[in-house]
Amino acid sequence: MIPRSPLQALAPYLSFAVLMTLAISIGLGHPRAQSKAPLDPAKLAEGDKLFHARCGYCHLAGGTGTIMLGRRLGKDRALLAERTDLTAEYVKKITRVGINGMPPHTRIEVPDSELDLIAAFIARPPAARTPAAPAESHP
Amino acid sequence: MPLILPPHVDEKTFQKALDAFAGVVGRQWVLATDEDRYTYMDIYAPGDAETHTPGAAVGPASAEEVQAIVRLANEYKVPLWPISRGKNLGYGAAAPVMPGTIVLDLGRMKKIIDVDERYGYCVLEPGVGFFDLFAHLQENKIPLWMSVPANAWGSVVGNALERGYGYTPYGENTRNICGMEIVLPTGDMVRTGTGAMSNSPNWHLFKYGFGPSWDQVFAQSNFGVVTKMGMWLMPEPEATLGLRMQLPNPDDVGWAIDELQPLRLNGVLQQNPSIGNSLRVVASQTPRSQWYQGDGALPDDVLRTILDEYHLGWWGIDLRLYGYDEVNEAHAKIIKAAFAKHTQQEFEVVKWHRGDPIQNSGAGVPATNALQIINWRGGRGGHVGFSPVLPANSEHVLRQFHSTKKRYEEIGVDYYGSFTLFDRYAINVNMMVYDRDDHALTKKVRDLFKVLVADAAKEGYSEYRTHISFMDDVALSFDYNNHAMRRLNETVKDALDPNGVLAPGKQGIWPKTYRGSRA
Repeated sequence: MIPRSPLQALAPYLSFAVLMTLAISIGLGHPRAQSKAPLDPAKLAEGDKLFHARCGYCHLAGGTGTIMLGRRLGKDRALLAERTDLTAEYVKKITRVGINGMPPHTRIEVPDSELDLIAAFIARPPAARTPAAPAESHP
Repeated sequence: MPLILPPHVDEKTFQKALDAFAGVVGRQWVLATDEDRYTYMDIYAPGDAETHTPGAAVGPASAEEVQAIVRLANEYKVPLWPISRGKNLGYGAAAPVMPGTIVLDLGRMKKIIDVDERYGYCVLEPGVGFFDLFAHLQENKIPLWMSVPANAWGSVVGNALERGYGYTPYGENTRNICGMEIVLPTGDMVRTGTGAMSNSPNWHLFKYGFGPSWDQVFAQSNFGVVTKMGMWLMPEPEATLGLRMQLPNPDDVGWAIDELQPLRLNGVLQQNPSIGNSLRVVASQTPRSQWYQGDGALPDDVLRTILDEYHLGWWGIDLRLYGYDEVNEAHAKIIKAAFAKHTQQEFEVVKWHRGDPIQNSGAGVPATNALQIINWRGGRGGHVGFSPVLPANSEHVLRQFHSTKKRYEEIGVDYYGSFTLFDRYAINVNMMVYDRDDHALTKKVRDLFKVLVADAAKEGYSEYRTHISFMDDVALSFDYNNHAMRRLNETVKDALDPNGVLAPGKQGIWPKTYRGSRA
């Protein structure tokens, strides 16, 4: 492996089509919407488990998605499960349409029912964030 | 993506077929929205994704449901494109050759049916991914090792059927196939090898059965839908010994291949080493804009600056010996002596013993990190690979390397190549990395690909596998006796698949119904 170099963070590249899709569906620039639905710990735990199973290929520590996000947005925003700035709607849309190098995911690979749980887990409010989300590598 | 219908099918019939599919799998597993079609497109396409837009997708949960769907496809005369997990990245991903084709997504069929430790095999459904099988082996402490490709997001079954490869002694994945269950294009079901007996204990031990052997007929083919596969796995060795070296000069790949090929053939080296140019390391870790912003191919002097900064050679080589410690040490001595004839450099040695962490063992450990190369050009990255097979010797390897690099430079794409050495041949993967929204660059990539196919055909080199946009081009180069192989393939296709419902155009094999769609 080559030594880690001081990498310039890449500008967040988004195609016009993806930008428009996001702007229409979630309203870019709007403050992060907080869900008013009561928290269900069992559903959050299920979302956590599904996140590891479906997204863990790339989005756990050392994964390719984590590395790419770290370069683009900084290391403090690289681990999806620790992000506090993502809404559930944003997570769902990006999963379906992809972003930069991340491909879209079909409704067979991640069914809507699973994606709802995963998105709710990633967008969970601060009160549901203790203990911190596990970040070990995929088994 | 808006609906594009397959040829000869009207919208009413298409919709009726989808309704009939829903009767088999449930409405939830018939995917036909604009967004659904988008998710099945070739996401890394070099600027021509819309030419392979699928019409819809349907996801069966069992072989019986596959049979029912295939029968309905015959009834409504709609074409299906079977995929395992749809991660054929760089070769078309989940997308069909012919637009409007309905993707038959087997991703819900993900049972690990059996793992046999004594005889070293597993039996899998097509939706089982490399990560799934790896987790199963680890969690159950089964001492069997997998062969895993560089990007391991996909299906074990799908990768073996597409003749993907890994880097262990079991690295030729298609060679590990032993006994399959297949739904034929009419909906009938067969089992290959001794699986054709209803009670054989040898189905996943003995490949050949009685009479013609059929397993490979269903690899890179559109003659059936594989719903179950037996696959041999490698027993965990006592130890491994890795030998790594950076080769400083472009032509060093020639002597390295000449020295290693006889050792690969006689078994001193049992795995398939990859000798890759160091741009693949650099591209996976830094963006091109950090080094060079000009048009055209990355100049050699810029590349040399990068390599010097990171102490990389022009090529990197990574060999691995598997087995008993003493034998590995003896084989390492032979390899070191062969290299000492050409270089003063010492190998970096990496040792692993049973019980050490598996990550540095040389076992197939799934990862997706190879995908990071697509960030090289920035934006929404993508890649395709042109991968001819050539005799493993310096004459062929150096001629192919120099002529390919020259083509990259003429057309203005950064050269990114590797040679993976097998016992008698080498596969030369030439990667083209681009920003999918840079239309000038993606056009150059498509132009370059076509030129490379033509150049290779002149030398008599075929590709071991290709992208869906170039299947007709590659098939055309199989021209012996006025394309006798195409006549054979299409005679078989028409006999097995009279309505042409399975994967029209795959590998350049077109059923008579759609033969006019050949590029």
